[in-house]
Amino acid sequence: MGLLSNLVVKQSLRLFKHETRQGELTIVFFAIVLAVATVFSLSGFSSQIKVALVEQSSRFIAADRVLQSSRPINENVLLKSQQLNLQYAKQIIMSSMVFSDNTHMLLASLTATSDLYPLKGQLLVSTTQKDYLAGKAQAVHEPTSGSIWVEASLLTKLKLVLGDKIEIGNSLFIIAGVIKQRPDASLNLFSLGPEIILNIADIDKTALIQAGSRVKYKYLFSGEHQNIEKFSNWIKPQINDTQRWYGIKSQQNALAKTLNKAEKYLSLASLLGVILAAVAISVAARRYSQRHQSSVAVFKAMGASKSYVTQLYIIHWSLLSFVSIIVGLCFGYLIQYAGLTVMAEYLPINNSFKWYYPLFTAVTTGLICVIAFAIAPLYELINTSPLVVVRSRVNTPTQFLNYKHLPAVLALFSLLWLFSGDWLLSLVLLAAGAFIVVVLLLLALQLVKLSRTMGSGAGQAWQLALANLKRRSTENSIQLVSFTLAINLLLLLVVVRSDLLNDWQKQLPDNSANKFLINISQPQLAKVQQFVDHNHLQASALFPVVPGRLTAINNEKIVASQMVTKNEFGSKKVKNKTTKPRIGLGRELNLTWLDKLPKKNKVFAGKWWTASDNTAQVSIEESIAKRLDIHLGDKLSFSLGSDVFQVKVTSIRKVNWQSMQPNFYMIFNRKVLANYPVTYISSLYIPPEKENLFAQFLAQYPTITMLDVDAMIKQLSNIIKQVSLAIAFILVIVVLAGCLVLVAQVQATMAERQRELAILRTLGANGRLLRNSVLYEFIALGVIAGTLASFVMEIIVYFLQTRLFNMTASFHFDFWVIAIVSGGLFVGLLGLLSCWRLLTKTALHRYAV
Amino acid sequence: MNINTDTILEVKQLTKSVKLENKQLTILKPIDLVVNAGETLAIVGSSGSGKTTLLSLLAGLDLPSAGEVYLKQQALHQLDEEQRSQVRAEHVGFIFQQFLLINSLTALENIMLPAELAHKSNAKELALTLLNDVGLAERGDHFPNQLSGGEQQRVAIARAFITQPDILFADEPTGNLDSNTGQHIANLLFNLNQQYGTTLVLVTHDQKLAQRCQKQIEMADGHLIAQQNNLPLPSPLNSKLNSDLNSSTDLLQEQALFKSEPQPRVIK
Repeated sequence: MGLLSNLVVKQSLRLFKHETRQGELTIVFFAIVLAVATVFSLSGFSSQIKVALVEQSSRFIAADRVLQSSRPINENVLLKSQQLNLQYAKQIIMSSMVFSDNTHMLLASLTATSDLYPLKGQLLVSTTQKDYLAGKAQAVHEPTSGSIWVEASLLTKLKLVLGDKIEIGNSLFIIAGVIKQRPDASLNLFSLGPEIILNIADIDKTALIQAGSRVKYKYLFSGEHQNIEKFSNWIKPQINDTQRWYGIKSQQNALAKTLNKAEKYLSLASLLGVILAAVAISVAARRYSQRHQSSVAVFKAMGASKSYVTQLYIIHWSLLSFVSIIVGLCFGYLIQYAGLTVMAEYLPINNSFKWYYPLFTAVTTGLICVIAFAIAPLYELINTSPLVVVRSRVNTPTQFLNYKHLPAVLALFSLLWLFSGDWLLSLVLLAAGAFIVVVLLLLALQLVKLSRTMGSGAGQAWQLALANLKRRSTENSIQLVSFTLAINLLLLLVVVRSDLLNDWQKQLPDNSANKFLINISQPQLAKVQQFVDHNHLQASALFPVVPGRLTAINNEKIVASQMVTKNEFGSKKVKNKTTKPRIGLGRELNLTWLDKLPKKNKVFAGKWWTASDNTAQVSIEESIAKRLDIHLGDKLSFSLGSDVFQVKVTSIRKVNWQSMQPNFYMIFNRKVLANYPVTYISSLYIPPEKENLFAQFLAQYPTITMLDVDAMIKQLSNIIKQVSLAIAFILVIVVLAGCLVLVAQVQATMAERQRELAILRTLGANGRLLRNSVLYEFIALGVIAGTLASFVMEIIVYFLQTRLFNMTASFHFDFWVIAIVSGGLFVGLLGLLSCWRLLTKTALHRYAV
Repeated sequence: MNINTDTILEVKQLTKSVKLENKQLTILKPIDLVVNAGETLAIVGSSGSGKTTLLSLLAGLDLPSAGEVYLKQQALHQLDEEQRSQVRAEHVGFIFQQFLLINSLTALENIMLPAELAHKSNAKELALTLLNDVGLAERGDHFPNQLSGGEQQRVAIARAFITQPDILFADEPTGNLDSNTGQHIANLLFNLNQQYGTTLVLVTHDQKLAQRCQKQIEMADGHLIAQQNNLPLPSPLNSKLNSDLNSSTDLLQEQALFKSEPQPRVIK
């Protein structure tokens, strides 16, 4: 036995050495290398990118996570955060009147902050009058005790300069700086007055916090990703109704949505990449088994036992797998290193690359692939009858599905599970995939059979090509299904990518509004309109605004908003109606009246009014209708100053909150609000070259508040660019995997083709005819595969768009054309190139005889 | 009939039928046959007459549907695949029409293979000797695709003799070669066979080749229809003497011929 083992090892090594040298193992080798490299690079790359994107975006909340509360939180929360090495900063937020002297006062929003704020991003402040005028600023944390930083509008409104003092509550503060940029600047158009930042140590001196004061406490946390996750898991169950726990991704804004979609896309791409590589391995393993069949038969005829052959091939396959996995890991490392290096220019990539998780996933995937996808072909190989030595082919009918394929199916499921982390989703995907494969197989069989009758009148090469298709109908059907799957998966990624990019582009079209004008009074209206028209600016309509409160729904009084809370995922918990009173918003709303439905608003229940309609009506935004449990026909009571009135809900609207224009929860018809005093708001795009002109215009109207969202838009569009780049990079890797499936599949039928070409040669077919017939055969396969792939893609994309990405479904006929044309061309060329050796080889034989 | 140690192969009422689309097709009708040690037997017949099926049953590559096969007194029809492998390893050599060399092994390694499988420690020396005997001493490290058809078959012949099998089965050994090369290969085969005193069972439809065997059976439609002796049976002693007398000169002639053969085409 010892001798036998030595011999087996020696033989295996010998086989491995020679086969490697002769390039016989290339396809299997590349398939495994690619599977491992894809997983290693993608899981390394995409997780790094995800972390970096979130890191980058976390600036918008100045922290990794925020705990917001209406009361100070328990000390043990802070202790826990310290145990986990998290940094934290505390903020107390409230609004108050501030006084420059006895006559000048202003409502401002105060943020008292502890040290370390901001934990993420930069707080830029001009600390001297010179810097302020020159527009220079430096990154700082909290102001020192006794001094404050203020927004520029406060200086203009109170006619102050840096160094002046103002009174907040019971204390006097020196204005030590002007805020140029705050990372977590509120995008609330109606925030109460300009911002003031003071040191948290001074808050008691102001004596502003008293029983019943409306105060918001914010605790900002940041730290290592894992620690943040641990902390998050620990704290989530403790969050009560008056608190909110959120990260950048749980925000209901454009950035969060962009990030979430990008993450989903990256995961989807990795998953498809792995499936493609697995398909390539399984095709290549089948070819490997077919190619070694006669060798096994010879071994057996020479007296080798089955156990010898089994050992021989297990060692051989293991060697091949081992070498391929190692090479795959090296390649994977290089690919992700290159990718991250490129991305590092755009994103804060963490230098300490965590290689163990990608390594573990890649090796596991590699092993699953080389074991599970090779079991069935290797089993067949080892059981090859020695009779093959006398009969070139022993009848072994190709079975599409039997128990031998169980390991492959299980492996596919494990891979899906490993990458999606969702067993139900994996099961559904597997079942759907199996269904699609079976349908495709049946369809392919029919199409291939049909092609014979269709081609009967065509030219000679076409006839030959179609006859070939027909003759190997089973083989070709399997081949066709592989082609279809490969093209389909690639198409899927390309289409979803283009949809995502379009979607993002739509959020931020060129020249989307970058300034908001608030508080425009009736007399200023004409001036603003004139400025806009004169400078040919793009601006939204001017919306009249009046603050008001929702007080009752169907005469049922409502209680404050603290009954409504959001958990981390932004979903709203509504207290049980039967035990608790109706809940409201607990704050003033900005009400508007309009004759026409504004852009980016869609009525989805009820009807929009006509301008002449004389009954009091309100149109309510969909999410708030859901949250407050309001339906069409409900009667809402509002209070405006001392007036109280009731209106009927006649429509419910969907609003695109990502559109850079003023949006409203409640819109009334003219009849209701026309007689109340209103101010106006508008959004507009100011191109860089008109910034100065705009500033001069605003200087004439100090009461108009301007909100600049330029920086925020630039950051968002920058992030979208980074995400698009990451996606393009991943797409390239997946395309490579797809190509490998095609090459492996073409290679798999090489032996059969070789025999046929030799016969056709002998029968006198000339080189051109043979070349053309091969080319046409593959073109036909490619075109059929492209068509089927487009069809399947359309169905899957529909589900992905509606279920996974929350986008509106759309059709992609342009991609059908691309898939069919490129499928035909690419598969045709690939087939021809792969068969080139055979075509020239048979030619050599012919001329040599 | 003399059933003693001289009988190396005996077949009784051997039948083979296969199922083809729900129909039972008998491809070998009951056959009886005896082959003695040292004999050369040709099985001739047209295509589809059942020659190859008979050969695969005699060599234990396949199992009969009915009947008995004894090779070196071992009942092949009662053995499983593994046991038959063992018998083949100990007693049987093969030469195939398609040469069937292992593509990823060199000529030398191909020749060594059966000796290694039979646990012969001197496999390499034996292989080198045989490589020299078949006139390919310089080409041991060439791969099959670097050899011409004739050269490949010479390697296959060397491979068949390396274990000094008791019986050698050759399936159309010249079938894939042009007549000139086929002639040389046949000479080599018969010379080595004589030299080693091996029993030879040869399947062919080439009458000239069949004529060189001592015994000839003809098959048609799965039946054994004729059996004839071409030459008187040589005694083992005669055979050995003949081979000693003839081998050296014959082989020299063969080698001269091989050397004049054009260099093989190297196919890329």
